[in-house]
Amino acid sequence: MFKTENIEKTYKKGSVSTQVLRGITLSVDKGEYVAIMGTSGTGKTTLMNILGCLDKPTSGKLELDGVDVSTLDDDALSALRNKKIGFVFQQFFLLERTTALDNVLLPFIYADSYPADAIERAKKALVSVGLEDRIKYLASELSGGQQQRVAIARALINDPDVILADEPTGNLDSKSTDEILEIFSRLNKEGRTIVVVTHDRAVAKYAQRILEFKEGHIEESV
Amino acid sequence: MKLTKTVSLSFKILTAHKLRTFLCISSMAVGVAAVVVMVSMGRGVQKRIMDMIHDMGTNLIVVNAGHVTLVGGRERQSAIVTTLRPGDADAIMDHCASVAAVAPEASRKMNAQWESENLMTNIIGVTPAAFEIRNIEIEMGRNFDSVENDTAGRVAIVGSVIVENLFNGEDPVGHQVRIGLALFEVLGVMKAKGVDANGVDRDDRILIPLNTAMRRLMRITYIQKIHIQVASSEKLQRAETEIRQLLRERHRLRDKPDDFTVQNQATLIQTERESARILTLLVGSVAAISLLVGGIGILAVMLTACRERRKEIGLRRAVGARRRDIRTQFLFESLIIAILGGFFGAALGMLSSFLASLIGGWTVVESWDAIAGGLMLSTAVGLIFGIFPASKASALEPIEALRAE
Repeated sequence: MFKTENIEKTYKKGSVSTQVLRGITLSVDKGEYVAIMGTSGTGKTTLMNILGCLDKPTSGKLELDGVDVSTLDDDALSALRNKKIGFVFQQFFLLERTTALDNVLLPFIYADSYPADAIERAKKALVSVGLEDRIKYLASELSGGQQQRVAIARALINDPDVILADEPTGNLDSKSTDEILEIFSRLNKEGRTIVVVTHDRAVAKYAQRILEFKEGHIEESV
Repeated sequence: MKLTKTVSLSFKILTAHKLRTFLCISSMAVGVAAVVVMVSMGRGVQKRIMDMIHDMGTNLIVVNAGHVTLVGGRERQSAIVTTLRPGDADAIMDHCASVAAVAPEASRKMNAQWESENLMTNIIGVTPAAFEIRNIEIEMGRNFDSVENDTAGRVAIVGSVIVENLFNGEDPVGHQVRIGLALFEVLGVMKAKGVDANGVDRDDRILIPLNTAMRRLMRITYIQKIHIQVASSEKLQRAETEIRQLLRERHRLRDKPDDFTVQNQATLIQTERESARILTLLVGSVAAISLLVGGIGILAVMLTACRERRKEIGLRRAVGARRRDIRTQFLFESLIIAILGGFFGAALGMLSSFLASLIGGWTVVESWDAIAGGLMLSTAVGLIFGIFPASKASALEPIEALRAE
């Protein structure tokens, strides 16, 4: 699925440059549930943004399904994010004055073709995360846990190969956290690849593999 | 991304920010409405002037005795000139091939009396031909004929102001009115025509046969004016030259300057039309500037939106929106504002013009080209002022947008 080779990322601000990633080499296979762990500021979000083709590495190579993403232009990267990757962010990133249903439908708008059964599929995705009675609610009317479940439904709608989740439970209480992690486990059992970035060992332990961040490098831990 | 999806998406975003959208649409609407109202009113002024000129008669040339100048848009005669005679009118009719009809005229301000009522009014001696040449219509009774003119009959046609002020609104036909020392029988009443381009009230007058006016009332041998109708508008210029030549010969002027003034309706129309056109253009441009202000409003709102919605832009990019999708969406938002503003503005403009004519009594000409122009201009403004924010929004890197505070 993912294969990185010696990825480095350096941020430059004026004359000061900060190296966040110092040669990350990892691979994630199809159907795996991987947690990337590390304390805050270690660069795990940066790595996830690079894996999700939202950001570009300063050097190194990222292959997604055998394709070197550095060869793709901006449009191709957009199409790739639309088809292959589902994002779940810590801050949910829902359109506030928009219904749960419309939020879930968002990726379809940017797909090659808008499916005829889009609304049915969106409803099904919302049902699968337990929000059948919140379909017409505005995002701003939902609780944090519900909002994150809408975000998961949105991530699932285009049937992506992988779900990339960045601190998906960082803004949630323990009950909602458990619910979200249950959903991830279930999705993984259904064959979906899941990569979760977290600082929380309790969250990471749901994964089959844990990769630990240390000073810009990555170490495999069991 | 499909066009219909883009449009419906932009609509959804605009309806989610109701107040902002409403204010933006309003500023555009006011601009477009201003264009429509101003142009309609300008055209109204133009139409009024044209109507006034046409009311004088068609294909008209007016010969005035002496030197007549326009001062502040009004005719001013420098001195009484006695060289213009009824014979001149006959000669013009006989010798100028392009002339279709002539109507000589002699007038004086005199006292008119009916029962105990008195008033000073314009007594105008005309030949029966004047009625047709000068579009004078009879509302009640009849006009006098050539026999009554030839025999200097004491008959009169009165204007509506005379009916109101001298006859106290009563039907004057058949009554006797005293003009100067002579008694005249009222034959008819003229249809109201209002004030002419020179500011003269055309309803405050009494028409009597020219011979009666010259021989019985004013005791003069000269006339002040000759209204001449030319066969067609193309012949106006030629007729003017012929008339000028003929009158100079008849008055034996040789190297002296003209003792008459010739006014050609074509020149008058052209001058008036040009000034009205400039007026319309001027007020239209002022209104167009307000449209531009509306456009700057859109620019400001869309730039603010672009900043406020950076996270949204980032999210859309994350779920697969391409740069051009973001650009199109922002552009459509400003276009929708501009087009809706245009339509509301056009409706508002038409309504205001209608109310201006209904309540204010303005002459308003519905200007479909101004409406179409206003709509096109607002669309163009939306497009032009939408491009910059749209490309700014689309230039954002997805990760920068998502990280925005």
